[in-house]
Amino acid sequence: MTNRKNIVRALIAVGSLASLHAASPVFAQSDEPIKPIPLEIKLDGKKVALGEKLFHDKRLSKDNSIACVSCHGLNTGGVDRQAVSTGIGGKKGNINAPTVFNSGFNFRQFWDGRATSLEEQAVGPVHNPLEMGSNWQEVVAKLGKDEALAAQFKQSYADGVQSKNIQDALAVFERSLITPNARFDKYLRGDKTALTADEHKGYQLFKSYGCVACHQGVNAGGNMFQLFGVMGDYFAKRGNVTEADNGRYNATKNEADKHMFKVPSLRNVALTAPYFHDGSAKTLSDAVDVMFRYQLGRPASQADKDLIVKFLHTLTGEYKGKSLEAPQVTAQLK
Amino acid sequence: MNKSRLAIGVVVATVLIGIFALLVVKTRSVDFDKHNDIISTLRQLKQVDAEWNVDVLKSKTGYNTNYDPVASPLPLIETLAIALQDKTTEIWGEGSALKGSLGQYRTVMEQKINMIERFKSQNSILRNSSRFLPVAAADTIEAVRASKLAATAKAEVEESLGAVLTKTMTYNLTPDAALKEQVEERTAALKATGEKLEPELRERIDVFIAHSATVLRQQEAGDKLLGQLAALPTAKKIDELTDAVQKQHEESLVGQQIYRQLLLAFSVFLLALLAYFGWRLAKSYRELNVSNVELNRANAELKESHMALVQSEKMSALGQMVAGIAHEINTPLAYVKGTLSVLAEQFSPLRELAKHAYQFTRVVSAPNVDKQLVNREWGHVTRLSAEVEEHKVMDELGTLLKDGLHGIDEISEIVLNLKNFSRLDRAKVTEFSVQDGLESTLLLAKNLLKNSVQIVKEYVAVPKISCSPSQINQVFLNIITNAVHAMPESRKESAVITLRTSREGDDMVRIEIQDNGAGIPKDVLPKIFDPFFTTKEIGKGTGMGLSISYKIIQEHGGKIIVDTEEGMGTVFSILLPVRTVQAPQQANVSAEPELLAA
Repeated sequence: MTNRKNIVRALIAVGSLASLHAASPVFAQSDEPIKPIPLEIKLDGKKVALGEKLFHDKRLSKDNSIACVSCHGLNTGGVDRQAVSTGIGGKKGNINAPTVFNSGFNFRQFWDGRATSLEEQAVGPVHNPLEMGSNWQEVVAKLGKDEALAAQFKQSYADGVQSKNIQDALAVFERSLITPNARFDKYLRGDKTALTADEHKGYQLFKSYGCVACHQGVNAGGNMFQLFGVMGDYFAKRGNVTEADNGRYNATKNEADKHMFKVPSLRNVALTAPYFHDGSAKTLSDAVDVMFRYQLGRPASQADKDLIVKFLHTLTGEYKGKSLEAPQVTAQLK
Repeated sequence: MNKSRLAIGVVVATVLIGIFALLVVKTRSVDFDKHNDIISTLRQLKQVDAEWNVDVLKSKTGYNTNYDPVASPLPLIETLAIALQDKTTEIWGEGSALKGSLGQYRTVMEQKINMIERFKSQNSILRNSSRFLPVAAADTIEAVRASKLAATAKAEVEESLGAVLTKTMTYNLTPDAALKEQVEERTAALKATGEKLEPELRERIDVFIAHSATVLRQQEAGDKLLGQLAALPTAKKIDELTDAVQKQHEESLVGQQIYRQLLLAFSVFLLALLAYFGWRLAKSYRELNVSNVELNRANAELKESHMALVQSEKMSALGQMVAGIAHEINTPLAYVKGTLSVLAEQFSPLRELAKHAYQFTRVVSAPNVDKQLVNREWGHVTRLSAEVEEHKVMDELGTLLKDGLHGIDEISEIVLNLKNFSRLDRAKVTEFSVQDGLESTLLLAKNLLKNSVQIVKEYVAVPKISCSPSQINQVFLNIITNAVHAMPESRKESAVITLRTSREGDDMVRIEIQDNGAGIPKDVLPKIFDPFFTTKEIGKGTGMGLSISYKIIQEHGGKIIVDTEEGMGTVFSILLPVRTVQAPQQANVSAEPELLAA
């Protein structure tokens, strides 16, 4: 009896706790933890056009071999689909390229969040010896010689080709890289037919298992840091710990930030394999398994996990009115 | 001296204007718009900060279903901080008193940002584990019940699970150190129990325990974090910053007030200075007027006295000449006189002859000729005519007349030269041969030169020059006179004056008057052209000769060059333009003859 009582008491406690969370179910219809991507955002069209040009400009790299788009392919989910990217001279990077799509909704940039803005972010790859291996002086000199481009700069920036203006134009363009109208967003906007029953179930599981604790907001992530390995030591298990595995610690040198990473956005996640900062998870199923094991620390049935994967596919949106989903990818899914 | 005074004046004026400009700038330095901007930025910052706190609490309680509201203020906070930094630097400069307050604010805000990052991570984990814990407990109990364990063992596990769950959840609501100890105690017991169970159950119990521990850990951390967050004085720092901005602004206002007063005082000072200079200017203008009038009068007087001096020098020179001229005229005059007296003496035989010739013609032509009378008269005429013829009286008379006329010619020549020397039209500019001028001067100075001075002439043909002949002659006379005086008769060497004429360039004529006299001593040389300077005895010279000569040549646009060596002699070189650039003293053309007439 005492046992029963205890359990009942515990449940009452849980109930009272749940009542705190009761707000969520009540607002469930209108106040989901994930928000739809706005259909459009207002940006300076001239700067967007200039930034797009720069994004595709290989002169940003030392040997003119690599542009931003080389690793952030706009036809490949904003990534290069490699575990780590390849920089100038075939050099291998040390971290997985995150998608450039919807990066404007991320609260910070890079896996370790060391850049507080897209403008600041642009500095990184240009100077990274494993990536573009250049510097602003070289880039500004090269671009300055291009009269047509210099003239285009003049239209938006009085002082012409300058590093800060390159950063600004790139950032403005990247803010334009939003992928609205994912099926899940249509569902959020009230189209109950947008999701299949399985996908809907998958979303409920996504919430109830607690994935949504971190992957929430407009970007289904990208607004907080989290320890990789909350409920288990991921790195001990994986082995071969690299400097990149230190995560936010590399930016702050604070011991408490070791293995802390920016929670990545799950937008278009079906298109951005392999997963995690180390590119270790080849498929979404692998990634979901790792997350259950090290982040949630709880078992789940394969059926539930599959449903969650199905839900994750509904997060693929449209860029410039066209679905990002490449035909062959769709075929594979079916 | 004038230049350095001007430079000092310019520097002083620049400094005064600089001070004025500085004061004007300082007076306008307080920018109310910018100050208001800063205040409103601070207000906005405080608002954002407060709303941020609310959003953190909303996330904590689950009212916020995502962290977007908690993450979104970050860029705004950064933008506002940068704006604040820029604006305060713009107004008060890099090293203003605000820097400290701003730095403190940034430090505190940085702490807050970091704490909120931690809160988000911690809160997510806590929420998941606290939500999962009852599920894990229920699942485990279910599994335990379904197991083949003994009933007592089942009850023990259930009891332990229930206790840990209850206490953990209670701790989650009201974190309490004592409670935590109890949970840890019971967890240890549960873990010990679990180790004895089958692997499937043990694993479930381990998961449960892990989440219980996570709740404890995260709740403790979260509690601490929120406590620290609440204690973090961001609002206070913003208020302090606002106060500091206000204070700084007030100080600026006070400063501006001081500068305004300074500006006023300085303006008054500048006005006074201006008035003083105006008064000085007016005064000196008046003084200048007075002295200008005086100077004009003095100048007129000087001109008059200069003319008088020129004239008196002329008179003095003429005075000296008079004796010579008298002598010059006297000699031919005596000669003419002598000739005429001889002529008168030689005249009587002719008179006799004329008388007897007349009587003879009367006697011959009478109606009754008296032969005896005729013969007597014939005899007279024959004798007398023979006498006249034999004594060559007519030849002598002719010679005497010629001599007389020569004497008169000489006299007229002297008179002509005298006339030439001091013609009434002296200031008139005419074509003039310098060689003729030298000749007529030599003639005038004949008495002075006597026969003791040898004149050597080395003339090269020069064009006639346009000048005032009488003035130039006066110059020649002065210099020749001086040359003669420089060569006293008492010395052994013979006195020689060499006159040279030559062309100098295309448009000048050079006249040199050289003597082999004593030369001019070095200490005297600079003074020779000074008025009234003379080395001659009193009464012998006025000391005006060279001074006036200098002036005359200068007025003709020419030059006098003196080349002298003591014991060897002196050369005066006069350079005169062929065409006088400017008529010499046109104004005096009328004045001088007048004076002369007077």
